[in-house]
Amino acid sequence: MIKVDQLTKSFGKIKAVNGISFNINKGEIYGLLGPNGAGKSTTINMLSSLFKPDSGTIHLNNTDLFSETNSCKKIIGIVPQEISLYDELSAEENLFFFGKIYGIPTKKLKNKIHDLLEFIGLSGRKKDAIKTYSGGMKRRINIAAALLHEPKILFLDEPTVGVDPQSRNRIFEIVERLKSEGLTIIYTTHYMEEVERLCDRIAIIDEGKIVGQGTLEELKKMIGEKEIVELDFATSDKEKIEELKTILPFEAEITNNKLAIKCDKNKDLKEVLNLVSKLNLSIADIDFVAPNLERVFLHLTGKELRD
Amino acid sequence: MLFTLFKKDMTLFLKDKKAVLLTFILPILLITLFAFAFGGTGKKKSNPRTYTVLVTDLDQSDSSKETIKQLENLKGLTLINKNLQKGKDLVKKGERLALLVFEKGFSEGIKKTHFFKTTLYFDASREIETRMIYSFLMQHLSQNQGKEILKNRVNSFVSNTFSGMPPKMKQNIINTISSENNASPIQIEMQSVMKEKSTKENIGLIQAVVGTAIMMLLFSIANIGGSLLDEKENGTLKRLLYAPFKTTEILFGKMLTALSISIAQLVVMFIFSWLAFGLNIFKDVPALLLMILCTAFAVAGFGIFLVSFVKTRQQLNGFSSLIILTMSAIGGSMIPLFIMPEFMQKMAVVSLNYWGIQGFYDIFWRELSIIEIAPRMLVLLGIGLVMTLISIPLFKKNIISL
Ligand SMILES: Nc1ncnc2c1ncn2[C@@H]1O[C@H](COP(=O)(O)OP(=O)(O)OP(=O)(O)O)[C@@H](O)[C@H]1O
Ligand SMILES: [Mg+2]
Repeated sequence: MIKVDQLTKSFGKIKAVNGISFNINKGEIYGLLGPNGAGKSTTINMLSSLFKPDSGTIHLNNTDLFSETNSCKKIIGIVPQEISLYDELSAEENLFFFGKIYGIPTKKLKNKIHDLLEFIGLSGRKKDAIKTYSGGMKRRINIAAALLHEPKILFLDEPTVGVDPQSRNRIFEIVERLKSEGLTIIYTTHYMEEVERLCDRIAIIDEGKIVGQGTLEELKKMIGEKEIVELDFATSDKEKIEELKTILPFEAEITNNKLAIKCDKNKDLKEVLNLVSKLNLSIADIDFVAPNLERVFLHLTGKELRD
Repeated sequence: MLFTLFKKDMTLFLKDKKAVLLTFILPILLITLFAFAFGGTGKKKSNPRTYTVLVTDLDQSDSSKETIKQLENLKGLTLINKNLQKGKDLVKKGERLALLVFEKGFSEGIKKTHFFKTTLYFDASREIETRMIYSFLMQHLSQNQGKEILKNRVNSFVSNTFSGMPPKMKQNIINTISSENNASPIQIEMQSVMKEKSTKENIGLIQAVVGTAIMMLLFSIANIGGSLLDEKENGTLKRLLYAPFKTTEILFGKMLTALSISIAQLVVMFIFSWLAFGLNIFKDVPALLLMILCTAFAVAGFGIFLVSFVKTRQQLNGFSSLIILTMSAIGGSMIPLFIMPEFMQKMAVVSLNYWGIQGFYDIFWRELSIIEIAPRMLVLLGIGLVMTLISIPLFKKNIISL
């Protein structure tokens, strides 16, 4: 359904997107997970035909986006990262206008608006100006505005930014329902929980590049199936921690005065602790972490997802 | 598509109380202010200004002397006797407004041909003031000389037709007829450079209305254009770009809005001036409507040009104030052109205001026909068109590039 090949885009010296490729099947939710400035929005803007890529191709539904822009535009719905609505107009007026620019006949559009407002749970406020809405409500209207023309493909660019947990859950429900209706969705975020909950496949993106992609399980396998034992030392004696790392028969990573060891906590912990006491290191804290995306991210990029 | 964009813009405009205020209320206040400042409160004229005119009597006849005496008695006119050469010099140097010359054969002219043989020399750079003097003189000369001419006419008619009539009887008839107040209108032609005026619209009022209206129009249209930048800033422009239609339609949608609001604003201004100050807007309705349309088009073009030229709302605000104030100052929106020195008047043609103001002057003051005003209308349409054409690439470069 979506085929992206070797996409690049620079702004002056900044390579915002640097050779991104992916394929998305019909009905999938594909997550783009990455920190601020990773190039998520730039990718979405190219997919929406707002930016022309410096190189690379985009095919939507087997059609080249930049040679048949208008027919592609009709099948894609885009929820931009910023709330893009007329503050002074009511929800209904906003939706009516954004439906009209897709040439939807008035009667059909009115029914659609009615249904969508029900769907996002804002029928009661439809006559109020957007400026009187809460952040979460605006986000929901922002999503609805992309659905009026019944797109086959939906791009959601960080749809939950600045939203309270309750509204966030509503947005998740909306996305899940859209998936069940058969939409193909690209979902960008820098929240791991979101991709874990929603996405069939995930691309981890950093500094304009996809550093790893696959299903959640596949990604976790990249760092091995074992759990991680995380030791927090009372000392900041870097050399000793380094020494421990070299004599340990397991894969390990140091961050600050923490050592993350990939091992089986039931079988291997005794051995680890023996070595620790041999080196006269004292442990302040010990943690057992199941492999998660945060770990994957750290493993792939060498940095924490949230800064 | 254009209509959808237009409808949305109009809805937004009407919800923006500040914009509505700027477009309709502020100009009304300013027009009122200027109308009083220029003494232009329509029919209820306050003290008319006094004009000083040089006069030379080359005829030295009884009737020329009598006429000069009558003119001297008029309120609002001061006559100073000067010889022909000196008088012409003073007018040339711009020290005096005009010189009225009673040519040789003035009295003969009245008796035989019923013409005033007079010439009015005037300072070209003060054309409009001279026009005022001219119509002022015309009015009083025709009133006062009417009786004299009538007397002469009756005299010659009676003498020619009833040559045998006793002199006493003839005198009686003449006296009776010419003493009547409703002396029949007499056609008078004056050897002058200018066409006669039929009505005397108050020039101060025209200046106040037209000058202010065009300046305020520019301001409110810059604001309408600015809404395009607001759309860029609040992200709605992005949504417009997501939709399947040509990007230039966004620009033309704005143009349509600007055009409609301009027309509405000008119409409201003229109706207000009519109701409040008695400006006769029904003199030439088709010409007025056409002029409104052309002015609105030029201003709308200017508006989208401005907005395509800048990148942010702040830039627009600074830039548009500068351009509009400059154009208004040199184009005659603030200070009437006719009191500016000649080189300033020549420079005025570079401003949009000039063409609009002069066009409306043509209608209300010079009373030209549509055909005669057409060149000005074409200039306005040209300005609008050129501005629009320049805007298209600029718009793509500055606005669409997010
Ligand atoms: N219009 C632009 N002009 C110049 N630089 C840009 C522009 N848009 C994005 N960039 C740069 O490109 C890089 C990627 O930005 P992008 O907005 O795609 O990141 P993102 O992944 O969406 O981040 P965020 O999570 O903060 O939204 C950044 O370094 C940004 O500064
Ligand atoms: Mg982004």
